[in-house]
Amino acid sequence: MSGFLFDVKVLELADEKGEFCGKLLAGAGADVLKVEPPGGNSTRSLGPFYHDESHPDQSLYFWHYNFGKRGVTLDIHTPAGTDLLKKLIAESDVLLDTLPLGTLEKLGLDWNALQKINPRLIYVLLTPFGRSGPWRDYKANDLVHLALGGQMMCCGYSPQEDGTYETPPIAPQMWHAYHITGNQAFIATVGALIGREATGVGEMIEVPIHQAVSVCTEIDVPNWIYSQTACYRQTGRHAQPVIGPEVQFSTNDGRYSIILPNPFPGGYETIVSFLDGKGKAGDLTDKKYDDPTNRKGLAFAKHFANVQAECVAAFDMEEIWREGQNLGIPWSPIRQPAENLQDEQWQMRATFTEVEHPELGERFSYVGAPMLPHEVSWRTGPRAPVVGEHNEDVYGKQLGIEQDEMARLKEKGIV
Amino acid sequence: MRPLEGVRVADLTWLLAGAGGPRLLASLGAEVIRIEWKDRLDFLRYMPPFAPLKGEQAEKAGALEMTGLSKDSSKSVNRAGFFNDVNAGKRGISLNMGHPKGRELFKRLVGISDVVVEAFTAETMRKWGLGYEELKAIKNDIIYIQQPGWGYKGPYVKFVSYGPIAQAASGLTEQSGLPAPHPPAGWGFSYMDWSGAYYCAISMLCAIYYKKRTGKGQYIDCSQVEPGIYMTGTAILDSLVNGRPSHRTGNRSPAKPAAPHGSYRCAGEDRWIAIAVTNEEEWRALVQRMGNPAWTTQDRFATLSARVRHQDELDALVTAWTKEQEPFALQERLQKAGVPAGVCQTAQDRIERDPQLKHLQWLIPLPHSEIGVWLVKDVPFHFTNGTVNQGGPTERAAPCYGEDSDYVYGELLKLTKQERAELEKEGII
Repeated sequence: MSGFLFDVKVLELADEKGEFCGKLLAGAGADVLKVEPPGGNSTRSLGPFYHDESHPDQSLYFWHYNFGKRGVTLDIHTPAGTDLLKKLIAESDVLLDTLPLGTLEKLGLDWNALQKINPRLIYVLLTPFGRSGPWRDYKANDLVHLALGGQMMCCGYSPQEDGTYETPPIAPQMWHAYHITGNQAFIATVGALIGREATGVGEMIEVPIHQAVSVCTEIDVPNWIYSQTACYRQTGRHAQPVIGPEVQFSTNDGRYSIILPNPFPGGYETIVSFLDGKGKAGDLTDKKYDDPTNRKGLAFAKHFANVQAECVAAFDMEEIWREGQNLGIPWSPIRQPAENLQDEQWQMRATFTEVEHPELGERFSYVGAPMLPHEVSWRTGPRAPVVGEHNEDVYGKQLGIEQDEMARLKEKGIV
Repeated sequence: MRPLEGVRVADLTWLLAGAGGPRLLASLGAEVIRIEWKDRLDFLRYMPPFAPLKGEQAEKAGALEMTGLSKDSSKSVNRAGFFNDVNAGKRGISLNMGHPKGRELFKRLVGISDVVVEAFTAETMRKWGLGYEELKAIKNDIIYIQQPGWGYKGPYVKFVSYGPIAQAASGLTEQSGLPAPHPPAGWGFSYMDWSGAYYCAISMLCAIYYKKRTGKGQYIDCSQVEPGIYMTGTAILDSLVNGRPSHRTGNRSPAKPAAPHGSYRCAGEDRWIAIAVTNEEEWRALVQRMGNPAWTTQDRFATLSARVRHQDELDALVTAWTKEQEPFALQERLQKAGVPAGVCQTAQDRIERDPQLKHLQWLIPLPHSEIGVWLVKDVPFHFTNGTVNQGGPTERAAPCYGEDSDYVYGELLKLTKQERAELEKEGII
């Protein structure tokens, strides 16, 4: 089975801002060719590293975010390099660009020039803040984007009794500004590919990271638009106009679980009967609580949370949550990412896939697909390219450059 | 033109994780038909904030609160602000899927649709005789996207998931917060609802492209938890390769040496600025902006690796400076000097103050048939040729309940006025 985007060719000129988008395109079946400067992309220096040895081919960050891509090296800032880049653009359906603003324009490759080289090209430009506007030249990274985008003011720990905060807003690690942007850019790109089926011509799409991140919060924006109400961050749960009951409880083995209220009719009774079965219902089995009017308000909600906390504290994290879920209680252990490797749900769905690293003579479990298609397959390999791995394939076989010319380009440091 | 012109989506989703995916397709020009029934409405229709009413009605509206599944039809279900945002650009019809005649009508809608997307509990569609095989028998190239929380295939098929559940299960919650012994801070919003929506949209778009190229439809089992796992890949590799469990680092930089790197208290109530210094040039610029204090010349702050080693002391000294500063003026001064910095913005900041978001027109005014014109979040992608925005083909915010029943049942499915009236009397539409 081939992938969804089986006939799509992508040229990627991207660092951490766009590598996740390229990874998704490769996963969906596109042939993604990553163009890196000679010596390798800057993102090869991002940790953690294989056996903690910093090496361009041993960044675990790079392995994950460049999975399934091919890679060539090219100094696009030399005339011969720019010529080769143009040839690659002519053969691509999508050009993904996260280079510093204006880089391609300086090489004579603005949108007009790109259209002349390839009228069917979908040009996807990811910018930190936009191609124009007062913050155009602002510098940012993942942390700064999540601050300006509003995520941080929603995430963190509850205030003290007097309403003041002792702890700072938190940016969930890691790279979520670029996950959000990559998802949105992927959606726009495939939308444009579908549109091209009708128009036959290409498209230029700009995705400002600041905008993508800013639209990815939840109720804080409508609360301000409709009622000028602020939301306050609180431990492990939604930022809300009021400080609500806890949903995150510690377990007997020093870990944490989360239990959400079940809003359906009978949801409350189900959890009380579950707690009772464990001998941990406290006073919730009292007759007075049969009357729903005695279960209203914040004070009861907090009491209800305390009873649940006592029950959860008596068991290990993985011990009873499935039992609760089988009854329809929205419950989950707060897992470490790697703990999912052992879960039978993901094993049955082949969520993880074994990937060969021939250069190391080893294989590792990678996250495979983010969904389960039935008629096509999500990509299961190969591992991210080592520096310049596909130079021969692409420049020699694909573009037909003679061997002595290749030697000359290599000698000049162009490839 | 709109890139997805001519694509029709039968939308049986709800909440954000479900309804957010078709929202994105509407922005790209698909005709999304949201199907609802009054006995089991989307919770978001009952969730504050609400568009205010005028005069006497306003007092009544004040009593409107989410109390589970309210069936009180005297209260309007068309005034909820978050619902209005999540369903912008869609059409809306009423249809009783629990009734056999309702399902017959749905089958006729399937016959003229490209995509069926649903977020029911796992067995619902199959029990109704509307599994993939049956849908395919109605329309051979149909695309069927199913979104049970943990996935249809597998032992957890009946498990429930909402955003915070998917965040906890996937590992994203554990990765957010100050280092132990602090508990995880987790996420202050349903990040995995948005992510669920993205991957629902991604699945639909991948399948639509594949159909355009091959003529074939397909079925995709789209869980809410797996996209979360997909984002934790580096931590999983670190655990497998290096035997290192994932550990929370607060706002410090785990992947790239950087210091100072965090959110620092500013003047004002609960005001903070994120500062991220990743090299010597940015450090020198910061030192200069701080007025070259003597402490910055100490050995323990002389190099990046030394600063990373002494981050606790460094953060305290930086905070002593930032806490006297007005945050937005500080942001501007630091950015002018080339230091990556940004205020931890609230919703109010982004809506009323952020000049860049205003410049990008991130909120667009869209009309709603009952509550008038309100601001809706536009999609963050800007097309040069195609027409793409959150108004979609309806050029409108969310539909009122059943707003487009006449259009869909009359114009698209060619039911006569009399037939429609009878169906309404029988409690089908």
